Amino acid sequence: MRQNTRSRRWPRLRPLGRKERRSLWTALLFLSPWLVGFLVFTLYPMVASLIYSLTNFNGLVSTRVAWYSNYAELFQDPKFWKSLGNTAYMVLFSVVITLFFSFICALLLNFKVRGQSIYRVLFYLPSIIPTVASTMLWIWILKPDNGVLSALLGLFGLESPNWFLDPNWSKPALILLGLWGTGGTIVIYLAGLQEVPQSLLEAAELDGAGWWQRLRHITIPMVSPITLFNLITGVIGTFQYFSQAYVFAKFASVGKASITLGAPLQSTLFYSVYLYQRFFEFRWGYASAMAWILFLIILVCTLLLLRVSRDSTYYAG
Amino acid sequence: MKKKVILFFNLALVITLVLTACGSKTDENVLRVWITWGDNPQQIQELFNGFTEQTGIRVEVTAPVETDKLMTALTSSQPPDILVLSGGDLVKSYFSQNLVEPLNSWIDTAGINMDDIYTAPADQCLYQGEYLCLPWGTDIYALYWNKTLFAEAGLDPEMPPQTMEELVAYADQLTKYDQDGNLTQVGFIPDFSWSHTDLYVSMLGGFWYNPDGTELTLNSQPMVDSLLWQQQFYENVGYEKMLNFIATLGDYSSSEHGFISERVAMMVEGEWFTGPNFIGAFGPDLNYGIAAFPPPADHPERAGTVVVQGTVALIPANATNKSASAQLLAWMLSPSVVAEEMYANYNLPTSRTAAQDPRFTSDPFFSVFIDLMGGANATYVTTTAISITVDDERGSIEEQVLHTGADPQTLLDDAQSRLSPLLQQALTP
Repeated sequence: MRQNTRSRRWPRLRPLGRKERRSLWTALLFLSPWLVGFLVFTLYPMVASLIYSLTNFNGLVSTRVAWYSNYAELFQDPKFWKSLGNTAYMVLFSVVITLFFSFICALLLNFKVRGQSIYRVLFYLPSIIPTVASTMLWIWILKPDNGVLSALLGLFGLESPNWFLDPNWSKPALILLGLWGTGGTIVIYLAGLQEVPQSLLEAAELDGAGWWQRLRHITIPMVSPITLFNLITGVIGTFQYFSQAYVFAKFASVGKASITLGAPLQSTLFYSVYLYQRFFEFRWGYASAMAWILFLIILVCTLLLLRVSRDSTYYAG
Repeated sequence: MKKKVILFFNLALVITLVLTACGSKTDENVLRVWITWGDNPQQIQELFNGFTEQTGIRVEVTAPVETDKLMTALTSSQPPDILVLSGGDLVKSYFSQNLVEPLNSWIDTAGINMDDIYTAPADQCLYQGEYLCLPWGTDIYALYWNKTLFAEAGLDPEMPPQTMEELVAYADQLTKYDQDGNLTQVGFIPDFSWSHTDLYVSMLGGFWYNPDGTELTLNSQPMVDSLLWQQQFYENVGYEKMLNFIATLGDYSSSEHGFISERVAMMVEGEWFTGPNFIGAFGPDLNYGIAAFPPPADHPERAGTVVVQGTVALIPANATNKSASAQLLAWMLSPSVVAEEMYANYNLPTSRTAAQDPRFTSDPFFSVFIDLMGGANATYVTTTAISITVDDERGSIEEQVLHTGADPQTLLDDAQSRLSPLLQQALTP
């Protein structure tokens, strides 16, 4: 017991020699652009937002300490729960659908067929288009009156849903839009698939395993670390979902000049969108409290995912 | 060692600050004007070049500026010299944070003729007897009606509805369905192309604030009535059917616009829509008329009620050369400049002299709006330091009431109880 305690102690630092000090300074000098950037643009805003969250700061003038009142108000705010519910919906459906779609695409792009590199480029290309441009494009595609999708559905005698004004269809519209930009996830999956040992697949084939069995018992377990990585980054990214919803609300026009942020019927009022709204209502303290709650939610979700996936993720070695 | 680390970080900080200071150096002979709208920045810059020709002071126009950037700019030590906002809703919020220069003394110094400015647009800038901003053109809304569709429905094409009740009956007559029961033409959509509750509630004798903006009256009877009045247009044809119909209407600036494509028979719209950029461009042959929005049958004295809301100009409190800013503001408000700029955008000139310009008076449609702006029942949107929050909440309530048939009283009561303390808090010094 005593030995364990001792082994956990920090090693005692010995004084640095002249040469080592010189090396340290050189290293710090080279690191300084990042260090200054980190201190000024990451650490300072984080600490400041934590302090603001405990005050009534409105972004303009000094204010009084509010302690936990922003947090207390937050939990009684129906819009907070609404935005959290909308975001949870996106995390649950968007992340899972995106992962599934990306994996299927990666599998297809892993087949050795003629012109494969062209297909890979085509699938990756949309992900480098700026979010604003791609969202505008999808608004045009989804327009119920004369959009491409509406015309396509019309060929089969189907009516296009009211993507922009029906709260039941606004989030699916955004999920559909999200699939357009999954190139990055596909590339990561593709790299993972190419790392699956060919010997294992060949051995399984010799033993009579079909395509589905090889996929289920070899490929999927072998790429499980990639799935976990994509899942965690997807969950973090979706909790911070903002740009598409903002552009969607600002530019989607269907007979109306513009749709308000969060419309229709607050169905696209996501957590970050609501935080942004509060921020520009001069409620920096409240918005900062929201940011810290989001940080905690993401932290807990990430730790949970790591814990749950511990026994089902394969790490070589 | 410790000293050296501190020295290192101090050095990095000094370099950063020096670079920042160098980057923000400004020319004192240049006045900067920020405008939050502007489809044609070059035209606006050319207009302001006229000031340079007169005074030798160069003016740099930045337009359009995103409202997100305003707060940072106003709190900085070098804000724009003149800020032009699309509406007056933010001015009192900024003033409550000491970011706006009160203008009364500058109006006298710079020789701005307040008698030449229409009362309603000027009054929207008044706060406790002090002008916080001044109107630079404005907007008001009136009723547009399609004469062809009126004739087809057996209505007198030259006679728009005379009361709000008559408007409901006309809308019913002007609504058409196809064989499957889907809407093909709608008489009137109350929130087309955006909310007009300010006009309806004023016609019904109230607003969501008391006149001096010291009390929130969101759940007052006129507010409830105005939402119920709007709700019936959706209820009469069915909420889902109406929303599906709206979804098939085209863009605001296109020939597929609901009114221009003759699928919406009546609408509430601003003066610019009759100009060359909208109906002039997309429906020049449209047979339509424009009249004041009708009053309720039991209050004919409210005829001609309009709610002014439009562009205002202000001087930021941190502006470095306020005297030059005031001089530029006076130039902007001079009748010839107002006429030039408002004609370019087809907006209402807030100068009485400018309004007599033949380019405005020769257009009978535009004259309707000018007459309404100068009328006795012209009023303005009351704003407070919490306008953004209240407007956001009101928009959400309107959407629920109009698009889902929710009960307005319950929603308004709830919002009133939550937001009223916020206003009182904002009013407490």
